[in-house]
Amino acid sequence: MTVAAGLGYALLALGPSLSLFVSVISKKPFLILTVLSSTLLWLMSLIALSGAWRAFLPLKTTRWWPYAILVITSVVFQEGLRVLFWKVYKKLEDILDSFADRVSKPRLFLTDKMQIALAGGLGHGVAHAVFFCLSLLTPAFGPATFYVDRCPQMPFFLISAIISLGFVTIHTFSMVIAFNGFAEGKRMHQVFVPGVHLAAALVTLINLSSGGCMVGIPILYFLVALTLIYCGNMVWKRLTEDRSRRH
Amino acid sequence: MDSSSVLSTIGTDIISVMSPVSICMLLVVFLVYSLSPASPNNNGTSLRTAATLVYLETPSDTATQKLEGALLNALVFVVLISAVTFMLVLLYYYNFTSFLKNYMRFSAFFVLASMGGSIFLSIIEHFSVPIDGFTCFVLIVNFTVVGVLSVFSPGIPIFVRQSYMVVLGIIVATWFTKLPEWTTWVLLVALAVYDLVAVLVPGGPLKMLVELASSRDEELPALIYEARPTISRNAERGGELGVFVGMGSGSVELQPVQHNDNVGENGGSSDQNFRARGSDNESEDEETSPLVANSVQRPVTSGGNSHHSQPDERLFGSVSSEIVEEETSPLVNGASSGSRAVERRRSRRDGGDHDSDIGMTMKAGIKLGLGDFVFYSVLVGRAAMYDLMTVYACYLAIISGLGCTLILLSVCQRALPALPISITLGVIFYFLTRLLMEPFVVGTSTNLLMF
Repeated sequence: MTVAAGLGYALLALGPSLSLFVSVISKKPFLILTVLSSTLLWLMSLIALSGAWRAFLPLKTTRWWPYAILVITSVVFQEGLRVLFWKVYKKLEDILDSFADRVSKPRLFLTDKMQIALAGGLGHGVAHAVFFCLSLLTPAFGPATFYVDRCPQMPFFLISAIISLGFVTIHTFSMVIAFNGFAEGKRMHQVFVPGVHLAAALVTLINLSSGGCMVGIPILYFLVALTLIYCGNMVWKRLTEDRSRRH
Repeated sequence: MDSSSVLSTIGTDIISVMSPVSICMLLVVFLVYSLSPASPNNNGTSLRTAATLVYLETPSDTATQKLEGALLNALVFVVLISAVTFMLVLLYYYNFTSFLKNYMRFSAFFVLASMGGSIFLSIIEHFSVPIDGFTCFVLIVNFTVVGVLSVFSPGIPIFVRQSYMVVLGIIVATWFTKLPEWTTWVLLVALAVYDLVAVLVPGGPLKMLVELASSRDEELPALIYEARPTISRNAERGGELGVFVGMGSGSVELQPVQHNDNVGENGGSSDQNFRARGSDNESEDEETSPLVANSVQRPVTSGGNSHHSQPDERLFGSVSSEIVEEETSPLVNGASSGSRAVERRRSRRDGGDHDSDIGMTMKAGIKLGLGDFVFYSVLVGRAAMYDLMTVYACYLAIISGLGCTLILLSVCQRALPALPISITLGVIFYFLTRLLMEPFVVGTSTNLLMF
């Protein structure tokens, strides 16, 4: 495998985010800044987590429960961080609104708010893909490839790219769901997001068993589809409500 | 409908500085990646430069030896830099401006031709590009000549100038990545400290230089990246950062203004003129430089009624046609007519947005010294020699540090060093990533665990 393969894996994991970035985010500098800061936040959460887990790593056991604890703590921590992110965003929204008043421009539209949420989610997703997939991809640019014992069907890089793509999508759109949920105060949305995140993370535990990736990846993609449909549904509903309210 | 939302204008300033820095870092990482395996023995017999005058690191040395040597190297380098900067200040003080400019041209020539040329040659070698000697020579000469011309001449399109600044940054940074590892880290930290001192402490050379230049109303004869003219769409530029000012410190009062040409205008200038000044001393050691907030009035507290931009007369030199346009725009004192003027101007601006005009606004954008480009990229390039993960972490850290500096700039309204925050964050993140995160991430993701 060579440069083509490496690029292919990278694009597999990050291609959709890239197009999202180019088509939506890059036109508005503020959204770029949101993506960057959300990426930084995710990186810091990862560093904090790894700092906490550093003493126990590497896990020598082949049993699954230490990994389960690791995954669960990580997800819980990150979901807590999402609430924090929301609070910061809320403050920012107020600032933006008062700024808009000051320069006599309209306040943030609903779509603007959603775009900010999308940018925040994209930042999380991109950070995920970058650290879990892209940073391990360097050997894929070389002349060889790598298989793990537990999943002999596909090269390791391909699996991690596919899983990363799933997580990028989940992260990106669950932020939209979460922000809307927080804004409207709907419990359903607020519970759905950590639920999907936790479920998706636990699904990857299946990969620990030999040949598990053939089961785990379809389940993961089922969750991805669920998130997408849920998000689309919710956004559609809110937009139509908003439009009917304005008319 | 989104075009009228505030989202599309906020942050243009910051992005216009961040994007060239990002490009510079990205290309340096590429260069480091693609060229370092081509010359593996180059690291063994590392070349002696100004930064390694005292001590040349060899892999067999103990950690203390390396540390001591690196500290000495950094010390010598910083002393050298400050000596050269003081000399620059002295020369500038006695009005040897044209000498300084020519010297900068010479150093640009030297960097582009010899250092850039050698990088170009090694690229050719590495990718085995078929090119004959004559063509190569012509290419390098042309490239260099245009670059040298673009450094200080007003006639060159600003985009060319900006690109050359980035190219200069890339070239110098790529050379700096050839320094031994320990020296690089210590040097970066030392330079951040130096930058802090030189810009903020009274009597610091860069502070003196900047003050001297602003008291004389002229551009510094130094290699500086100007973000100014790429920012095209802003009727309320100042407000953009003003958002963050509002966040950072409740109210910012008018700053003492040294050179305000717009005296008749009270509280009206809504543009913020940031300039980062850089000076560079030797062709090889580009100098760290501060971000300078120019003397402007603070618009933020002036309420929503008087946000209209005001041309900064000092910067009129090169972008004359636009200036005329801008000068014809009304100076409005009244609160009521002010907002109308904004509207009008905004519509005009928005109309002209699409052609991404050069010099659409003639306000001073943020200026960032070339040294900052260089040392950011050196950090990232050094991180690239370890792993991609550290590259991303360092990139994010540096960019966020730059963002913090810019926000501080809008709060402080004065020259600020751009290195300290970014370099500190970058170094911290590098070591955190390397020591903490890597085993964690590699451990989980090789088990195909993700979350």
